[in-house]
Amino acid sequence: MGISKDRIKFNVGGRLFETTATTLANAGRDSFFGALFDDGWNLSPQDSVIFVDRNSDCFAVLLDLLRTGDLNVPANIPERLLHREASFYCLLDHVRSARWGPFDGNRLRLSDSVKGTSPGDGTAIRAGPDGGCCVAHGSVVHVYDWMLEEHSPINLDYQRVNDVGWIDSDNIVLSACERLGRGDGGMGLFSSSSGDLRYKFQVSHENQVKSYTAGALSFSPDYEIFASCKGRSNEYGIGVWDQITGKQTDFFYESPGWSLGDADKLQWLNGKSCLLVATLFPRKDNCYISLLDFRDKNMVWSWSDIGSPMAIDEKRVRDAIAMEDSNSICVVNEFEDLGFIDLRMYGGSVRWSSRSKLMKSKMPDEPCYPKLALHEGQLFSSMNDSISVFCGPDWVLTSRLRRSYGGSICDFSIGGDRLFALHSEENVFDVWETPPPPII
Amino acid sequence: MSNQRKRNFQIEAFKQRVVVDPKYADKTWKILEHAIHEIYNHNASGLSFEELYRNAYNMVLHKFGEKLYTGLVTTMTFHLKEICKSIEEAQGGAFLELLNRKWNDHNKALQMIRDILMYMDRTYVPSLKKTHVHELGLHLWRDSVLHSSKVQTRLLDTLLDLVHKERTGEVIDRVLMRNVIKMFMDLGESVYQEDFEKPFLEASAEFYKVESQGFIESCDCGDYLKKAEKPLTEEVERVAHYLDAKSEAKITSVVEREMIANHVQRLVHMENSGLVNMLLNDKYEDMGRMYSLFRRVSNGLVTVRDVMTLHLREMGKQLVTDPEKSKDPVEFVQRLLDERDKYDKIINLAFSNDKTFQNALNSSFEYFLNLNTRSPEFISLFVDDKLRKGLKGVGEEDVDLILDKVMMLFRYLQEKDVFEKYYKQHLAKRLLSGKTVSDDAERNLIVKLKTECGYQFTSKLEGMFTDMKTSHDTLLGFYNSHPELSEGPTLVVQVLTTGSWPTQPTVQCNLPAEVSVLCEKFRSYYLGTHTGRRLSWQTNMGTADIKAVFGKSQRHELNVSTFQMCVLMLFNNSDRLSYKEIEQATEIPASDLKRCLQSMACVKGKNVLRKEPMSKDIGEEDSFIVNDRFTSKFYKVKIGTVVAQKETEPEKQETRQRVEEDRKPQIEAAIVRIMKSRRVLDHNNIIAEVIKQLQSRFLANPTEIKKRIESLIERDFLERDSTDRKLYRYLA
Repeated sequence: MGISKDRIKFNVGGRLFETTATTLANAGRDSFFGALFDDGWNLSPQDSVIFVDRNSDCFAVLLDLLRTGDLNVPANIPERLLHREASFYCLLDHVRSARWGPFDGNRLRLSDSVKGTSPGDGTAIRAGPDGGCCVAHGSVVHVYDWMLEEHSPINLDYQRVNDVGWIDSDNIVLSACERLGRGDGGMGLFSSSSGDLRYKFQVSHENQVKSYTAGALSFSPDYEIFASCKGRSNEYGIGVWDQITGKQTDFFYESPGWSLGDADKLQWLNGKSCLLVATLFPRKDNCYISLLDFRDKNMVWSWSDIGSPMAIDEKRVRDAIAMEDSNSICVVNEFEDLGFIDLRMYGGSVRWSSRSKLMKSKMPDEPCYPKLALHEGQLFSSMNDSISVFCGPDWVLTSRLRRSYGGSICDFSIGGDRLFALHSEENVFDVWETPPPPII
Repeated sequence: MSNQRKRNFQIEAFKQRVVVDPKYADKTWKILEHAIHEIYNHNASGLSFEELYRNAYNMVLHKFGEKLYTGLVTTMTFHLKEICKSIEEAQGGAFLELLNRKWNDHNKALQMIRDILMYMDRTYVPSLKKTHVHELGLHLWRDSVLHSSKVQTRLLDTLLDLVHKERTGEVIDRVLMRNVIKMFMDLGESVYQEDFEKPFLEASAEFYKVESQGFIESCDCGDYLKKAEKPLTEEVERVAHYLDAKSEAKITSVVEREMIANHVQRLVHMENSGLVNMLLNDKYEDMGRMYSLFRRVSNGLVTVRDVMTLHLREMGKQLVTDPEKSKDPVEFVQRLLDERDKYDKIINLAFSNDKTFQNALNSSFEYFLNLNTRSPEFISLFVDDKLRKGLKGVGEEDVDLILDKVMMLFRYLQEKDVFEKYYKQHLAKRLLSGKTVSDDAERNLIVKLKTECGYQFTSKLEGMFTDMKTSHDTLLGFYNSHPELSEGPTLVVQVLTTGSWPTQPTVQCNLPAEVSVLCEKFRSYYLGTHTGRRLSWQTNMGTADIKAVFGKSQRHELNVSTFQMCVLMLFNNSDRLSYKEIEQATEIPASDLKRCLQSMACVKGKNVLRKEPMSKDIGEEDSFIVNDRFTSKFYKVKIGTVVAQKETEPEKQETRQRVEEDRKPQIEAAIVRIMKSRRVLDHNNIIAEVIKQLQSRFLANPTEIKKRIESLIERDFLERDSTDRKLYRYLA
């Protein structure tokens, strides 16, 4: 195709645009423009103009996006309008990927704060794979897409939600408490767009379906779902389901003197093919951290603070995360002291790196327990109203994300190249994202 | 809407509501439906893409996605039913072509429909987990057209019929074939497999079953193999032309099963043309074909190999046990070598040097070569023959080649020590009589034996060579120190180290005075230069060149043995001597004397003596006279040389006995070595270990090992365990 023949003219909502087929090819085959240029459609002769009955201002922005890959929205165009127009041309994916850059904990900018309406404290916030998130409050889960538009909430009708997890951008798994005498609770798969229940995961003990309370959740790349489970007749442990068939495939029963069914946190370790299970204060009086290998039903590693001197209350582990690259488990106490346990040794002790003794004096009235997260070699730890970013082999503090409005951070989550922080007051959550890469 | 009936009670909302035209959805759908009709009717040029796209978008936006989607299904199904009807009506050959054309039309239409419904396909379809438009179009085609009762079987029959036609040599439209089969593939792997591939494979199996049955009844093995090769390449070609690449392995395995695997036994054993016949007649090409075809099926090569092994063993057994054939040792070995060459060539040319075939060849040779206990002797004799004369005028590389082949046979021998025994004897004779053709060739073989069996095996053989060289140097020194001896008879002495050479009973005789003086001088020279040694004369192994004059100055140089020389020298002093006189004067043992007299008096052309009375055998009363009428056209005459010959029966027994005797200390040494390291061992394990250790030299006999163990117990090297009688302990 010659240079001049490449030209294409549009009349969009009365405004004339001229562009090239090469530019429009950036939209891809599965878009309005891709369909338009199919051989079957009789395109008008070269000099004629293709009329499109849409908003011309948005067309200009989107055309620019196709030309440069950059998204520049003038102040006078509402986001919703732009998204609506992008959706018409099937260019929403283009808009989303131009919106923010690849995640880097040290370059995060606060892009939005969304205020919720739920009464009471939030339980958990979970980032979805494509930039959306969901927030659990009591028995309701609010779902937001990447445009931060709220969809129909998932309502469990008085069953308290314990944990939430995304299977994919369209499916959310909820774990909930069993309500006495009702036989409900457990785990369910819900549509993120409509909030409808799609599937209910069942637990059987000795071939008998039993009701249960599901706690923490984790997912493996082999399409497995793990959940800590508490059954009515002391059937405590970790259940395993297949994401595709939805059937229960395994159950790791808790042994006496150890806690699995009450676990606060599950984490699948891909390299070791093990599941980290952590039960922490105050759910139990002691902390129990263990690695389970389901292939031979073996607890391959474990650590507990039973027997360590309880006088030093500040050394209570409040969250734990396994770091496979450095073969250790990172733990945090309520004063944001980080500690490390060696995974290669059985029964090692915590090596605390006491960083912030100053914190003790200025604890807020309503403290939140610290939380940990790991993302591509960067360690994140929430404390009060800020999130600290640690980098490098010695985990040096490199950034601190803070916003005074909303009070302490009760949970945060990283996913879809975004960080979501849920505050305990006003139910507000912040969205942090990395700006697109610089022009030069 | 359910509340339509209660319209009477409806209360108007306060807020002015924007009422969407209730007919809106129907109207919009009508436009889109019309467009779909037009598309299927090849009438799309008048349609506006932008308008249709916008309409579809609006329907989804206003929550009429469901209506749009079900409408699409209905409309498309309607068109596909129409298409199906027209295909069903097609006559004969037009059927396939029409099907293909309609399939292409449908694909084109599907693409355009998807274009206008793009928004629905990307938003409505995934959120409700429906089938995407393109896939939906394929499913509907499959259900409405492909699986319609009138099309399905007809299509399959047509396709299989075309394949059959092509197999029987007709030309078919491969492009059309490829397009139609591509349709199956486009509809999904399971459709291709279920609706086409499976019946295709079944039909192929049936076809080749009949085909192969016909061939096998009418062809011989070689021709059958040629015919079996053809469909394999044809089917691969067919797959490349118009089937899915994944079918290649499946159809190939069908052909392999029907054409080859089911007939392996019958082919290999086919009378007058099977494998044995091919082996006998060196049919490399046929065997090569058999190999490359049979390797494709699981038990093919095993069968070929087994039949070859069986044939080889049978043939070899006949070869080595036939008394006629083992008369001439050289020919015997040559025949073995020829057989090996033949099979080497077969394996090389036809069986692509397959290791398992080579192993089968080796094990067969090992099997039958050891059936004849005289094989070691014969092989040594063969070498002897080659090194005496056979290698004259043969290049160095060829010598190496022959020796390598001999080594090959040597490797098969179980009783390598027997070979060593014979080889030593034969080598000694070659060296002492100066008959070896090439020193290099001799040494070459020793090196080969050494690499094969280790230093120990050849150390004595090498000692023999060293003796030869030292003797040469000693003689030079002897004559240098006695310059006066340059006149008169020349003495050549070979000093042989005891032990290195095959032991022979020392036979003494009275040497003639001239010689014995020389011998004494040499003795004193030798013992003067080497202290602490003892020399004894092996007169039975020597030779002499003597000049003789017969009758009227008939001059000859006679090459004789030392014994013969002693006898002839007597005739310098007297014309006629009786047997008794000769015996008295020379003191040569009777048997040797008789033999040497016989060779001088009774052999035609060599009869330097005359015997009275004339007879074939030597009697004690005979008397001898110089034969004045002796003539020969040669100046030099060789008389009665001792040639290495196949051993006679008693000699054989003797060698055998000596070998057995020599084995005893070796077995004992092996037992002691093993027990020294293991300390305690049970009977069966000792036997196994001893046999393993001695394998490179001979196959130890378990009874003999048992005897040796008992002898060692007697001599307090070992003891039986007091509780377990099967256990032996080593006593330090």
